[in-house]
Amino acid sequence: MKDDIKILEVLEYLPKHISAMIMKLPEKVLTDMEEIRLRLTKPICLSGSGAEIFIAGQDGSYLVNEDDLKCALQLICNYSMYSVEEELRNGFITINGGHRVGLCGRTVIDNGKVKTLKDISYMNFRVAKQIIGASDKIVGHLIRSPDSIYNTLIISPPQCGKTTLLRDLVRTLSDGRKDMLFKGMKISLVDERSEIAACSMGIPKNDVGIRTDVLDGCPKAEGIIMMIRSMSPDIVATDEIGRTEDADAITAAVNAGVNVITTIHGSNITDFIKKQDLNRIQKGVFERYVVLSRRNGAGTLEAVLDGKYDVLFEMRG
Amino acid sequence: MTLKIIGGLLVISASGLLGLLFSNRLSLRYRELEKLRRLMQMLETEVTYGATPLPAALCSISKKSEGLISNFFINISKCLSERSFYTVREAWNESSELILTQSSLKKADIELIKSFGNILGSSDREDQKKHFQLFYLQLKHQEDAAIEEIKRSAKMYRSLGFLLGIAVFVVFA
Repeated sequence: MKDDIKILEVLEYLPKHISAMIMKLPEKVLTDMEEIRLRLTKPICLSGSGAEIFIAGQDGSYLVNEDDLKCALQLICNYSMYSVEEELRNGFITINGGHRVGLCGRTVIDNGKVKTLKDISYMNFRVAKQIIGASDKIVGHLIRSPDSIYNTLIISPPQCGKTTLLRDLVRTLSDGRKDMLFKGMKISLVDERSEIAACSMGIPKNDVGIRTDVLDGCPKAEGIIMMIRSMSPDIVATDEIGRTEDADAITAAVNAGVNVITTIHGSNITDFIKKQDLNRIQKGVFERYVVLSRRNGAGTLEAVLDGKYDVLFEMRG
Repeated sequence: MTLKIIGGLLVISASGLLGLLFSNRLSLRYRELEKLRRLMQMLETEVTYGATPLPAALCSISKKSEGLISNFFINISKCLSERSFYTVREAWNESSELILTQSSLKKADIELIKSFGNILGSSDREDQKKHFQLFYLQLKHQEDAAIEEIKRSAKMYRSLGFLLGIAVFVVFA
């Protein structure tokens, strides 16, 4: 049972007295928690499954102090700020187990670009959960034939299970599904933020399937091209596209005859169409659009559309 | 008479050895400083080029050497991976107190090493590199001082040992 509580892996990165306070919560509550937030001079806040809990110490509420944050930062970066330079610039660090820690404080600007973060006073520990079978409902819509799939875009607001769905899709498509007569395909996973496969020292901590090659920590646009050249994939999978370079790389992949699965932030298909940076891939590239929401909890399947935006599946109500 | 000669020889050789021991201790300090420099250069490579996190970097460099200085690095790596301390500085200081004080290093050397613990791991790669360079410069001073001391004192200790032995023999014989 204890192994199922993913949040315990995250607690290792908190100062001992704070993790002790959180451990006092009942197991049932801990299992549901998705986020732990530390804010300077504010109480610790846990949230998940629509609930929100503020942690109280022995004598009333406990307020996070500067030392707590400094200590947590040391633990997160493994005592080595220099090893997380790039991550700090992006505002988050991925820790063992694929959990993500968002950081926020004062930015240091150099030549108009964010150079690094300092005086970090807000932290958000997001618990990553691999849900085996999260893609079961959808995978049937995406399979074209025993050895090919439709190019797919998953559209979802943050915190709605986009990455979880992508991870499970990669696992399923890579392993193959005998019951659907799907053989399994070679997948190149470009995991820019180490979130999908959760690699630590090159070893994926999440199950991403037997025919999957993971390129860890590489910028998407470059990574996609690299993988097409080096690993001869059938499918390229990547997370959270948004820039013009990403669109170019995806076009290149599709033109090379490789299938693409990717995700984007948005709450419906119009959000995608409105994004000007991506206008190269708004027509004729994707053949399936999967829209998620958290109406019935994270990972609620809202709709599946085909390449002409015709509805194949829609949630009622 | 024979007894006297044997006794005299014993006294002279004992104090002579004592002198050798002292002079050896001086060059030991220099050798330890040199080893420290070599290991620190490896650490610099791990930090600035490899961006390896400290616990792993310290562990891997300490495997390439042995002795007290190498134990010092192993101990820090252990403290950090076991989470006994929340900062590098604390682990570094603790290790210096625990291990380096047993070495032939002087207090000033240990203070210099300790001060480096404040910086290690706390900034970006570029900045770490600068601090490493500064550390080498400071280390050079200590090395020079050690060499100077060897030149000056080693000979003296050695001859002083023998002379003292002879003096004792002459006085008591």
